[in-house]
Amino acid sequence: MPLLPPLKSLQARLLALLLLLVTLVWLGAAGFIWVDASDELDELLDGHLAQSAALLIVQQAGHGGESSSEASEREPVEDAPSLHKYAPRVAFQVFHEGRLTMRSANADATPMSERAKGFATVTLKDQTQWRVFGAQGNEGDVQVFVGEQITSRNAILWAVLKGVVMPLLYALPLLAVVGWLAVRNGLAPLRHLSQMLAQRQPQVLEPVELPDLPSEIEPVVQALNALFERIQAMVDAERRFTADAAHELRTPIAAIRTQAQVALGAGTDDAQRQHALRYTLAGCDRATHLVEQLLTLSRLESSSASAPTGLVDVCSVAQRVAADLALPALGRAQVLELDAPARALILADDLLTSVLVRNLLDNALRYSPDGARVHLAVTTDGKQVALKVEDSGPGLAEAEMARLGERFYRVLGTEKTGSGLGWSIVRRIAAAYQARISVARSKRLGGLCVTVCWTAQPAKS
Amino acid sequence: MRILLAEDDAMLGDGLRAGLRQQGFLVDWVRDGVAAEREIGTGDYQAAVLDLGLPQKDGMDVLQALRGKKIATPVLILTARDTVPDRIRGLDMGADDYVLKPVDLYELGARLRSLVRRAHGQIQDLLTCGAVQMNLSARQVMFENQPVALSTREFDLLHALMLAVGRVLSREQLEQQLYSWGHEVESNAVEVHIHHLRKKLKPELIQTVRGIGYTLLQSSDAA
Repeated sequence: MPLLPPLKSLQARLLALLLLLVTLVWLGAAGFIWVDASDELDELLDGHLAQSAALLIVQQAGHGGESSSEASEREPVEDAPSLHKYAPRVAFQVFHEGRLTMRSANADATPMSERAKGFATVTLKDQTQWRVFGAQGNEGDVQVFVGEQITSRNAILWAVLKGVVMPLLYALPLLAVVGWLAVRNGLAPLRHLSQMLAQRQPQVLEPVELPDLPSEIEPVVQALNALFERIQAMVDAERRFTADAAHELRTPIAAIRTQAQVALGAGTDDAQRQHALRYTLAGCDRATHLVEQLLTLSRLESSSASAPTGLVDVCSVAQRVAADLALPALGRAQVLELDAPARALILADDLLTSVLVRNLLDNALRYSPDGARVHLAVTTDGKQVALKVEDSGPGLAEAEMARLGERFYRVLGTEKTGSGLGWSIVRRIAAAYQARISVARSKRLGGLCVTVCWTAQPAKS
Repeated sequence: MRILLAEDDAMLGDGLRAGLRQQGFLVDWVRDGVAAEREIGTGDYQAAVLDLGLPQKDGMDVLQALRGKKIATPVLILTARDTVPDRIRGLDMGADDYVLKPVDLYELGARLRSLVRRAHGQIQDLLTCGAVQMNLSARQVMFENQPVALSTREFDLLHALMLAVGRVLSREQLEQQLYSWGHEVESNAVEVHIHHLRKKLKPELIQTVRGIGYTLLQSSDAA
């Protein structure tokens, strides 16, 4: 807020703003009253001066000439009473045919103003400012000056202003107290909200409910509740993950332990011992695979690891991965075909792209029966690069396809020992490089068909 | 003792079956919930080891369905679900024991024996019937304080008869106790084993009830 110095407290801010505005309004009112009152006062007092001058002229005319002959002595007129406290501030002079015939005690013998007729503001010899009205009789032989000290006018003006301003000056602290209480009362819902939030346990994520919620705070509470909801969903997902991870980690370890114990207890049964030991080793491989997948996933979830590092040729990645997996596939009499003739560049990370392709191909081989066909193809049309993995396995039902990518989701009833994490990893990597994944039934081989599409990058010349 | 094992993990199931067989259990292995419910429902098993995360039907649902049908076969849940609410739910649902993976094979064997024992109202691992004493964990039989050497089948047959003392067991019921799946049952196998038992112990101990089956007499009756 630029109007005020930065105040942390909303209450202090509102109060300061309120008091500032009251003071401004009040000063404006005072200024207006000053201007208005001084105009009115000038008019009124000037009227009085003019009236006084007229009276003096009439009086001088009534005295006639005989008194004027006696008026050679230049003494102040005795019968000008000085009874009122304003009297020293009011002065008059009466001249008859150029001679001073009458004056107040505080008036000089010389004319106060150079203007014989009308108003003038003059500075006298004693440096005081006077408002002087000059008037002449009808015959022009009588000249009257009536003056009034300017300061007296100002004193009246100040007195008027004091009457207006002082009560407000006393009212201001009172106003501050009342305003503070009012603002405090107005902010009570906010305070309740903050108290309620402060008292919350971190694991409590139910929506905040406050009675009589003011409409200004409602959006805040709604946003807060929406946030709570999202956090709840995240916490639930984490909790599920932990439960699933416990299950997925315990089962291979339980298998290893059990098989090892069977081998120990086999006694003279060599065939049984051999069998159990082979299973023990296989169990170790499976646990290793699971741990590796978990580590890959957790590295992916710390987001910085998945920034594109450069141009990747999907064809060469596919060749590399297919070469790695060809041997185990041969062991199960599976036919692995690769169709990746051209260069197909995308912006990604080489290692992560190979992790993605490996997971897809590994899934296709793992969940297809012995002797199955798996077809891996990379195509590009200049705009897009598409990688397609098809198999002749059993495929998946619609509902199962939809659940692929949930961590530890495995299609139940398969005899195969997957980690349940492959699809999570695939989806994660795809999302990092804006790749689209679609899952469908393979038209060519009858099993599952997974397609990954990236935006193609032009080859550098 | 004939046990049903319900476990969908191939490697673990294979190990459990082999390990329990080493301890003298007869083990049949199923890999999904529907089969588990069907098999336990036959009542041929002395106890069952039930995994919870089974395909087709969750272990907890299997258990609920069985207990709903008043099938009292002792069930040991063997699972990786380790939270306290899961354990409470499992036991309240009618499980007799709740064991976390991984488990020691011998502990699993002892727990199964304990379940079977309790199901028959015994309080210790030693079965006694008159002059016959049977130590289940050591698989040893004493008759009049002398050790008697019995074959596996003979032991299992005697065990079944001792558990059902005072009742008559049919030849079919005894066959069920003697053979797990994949074993050919010879037509007169039970008769042959009974004959051997009578020779090794006392002939009149095992009585034939014509047309029905066999029963083990308590020593007072035999005397």
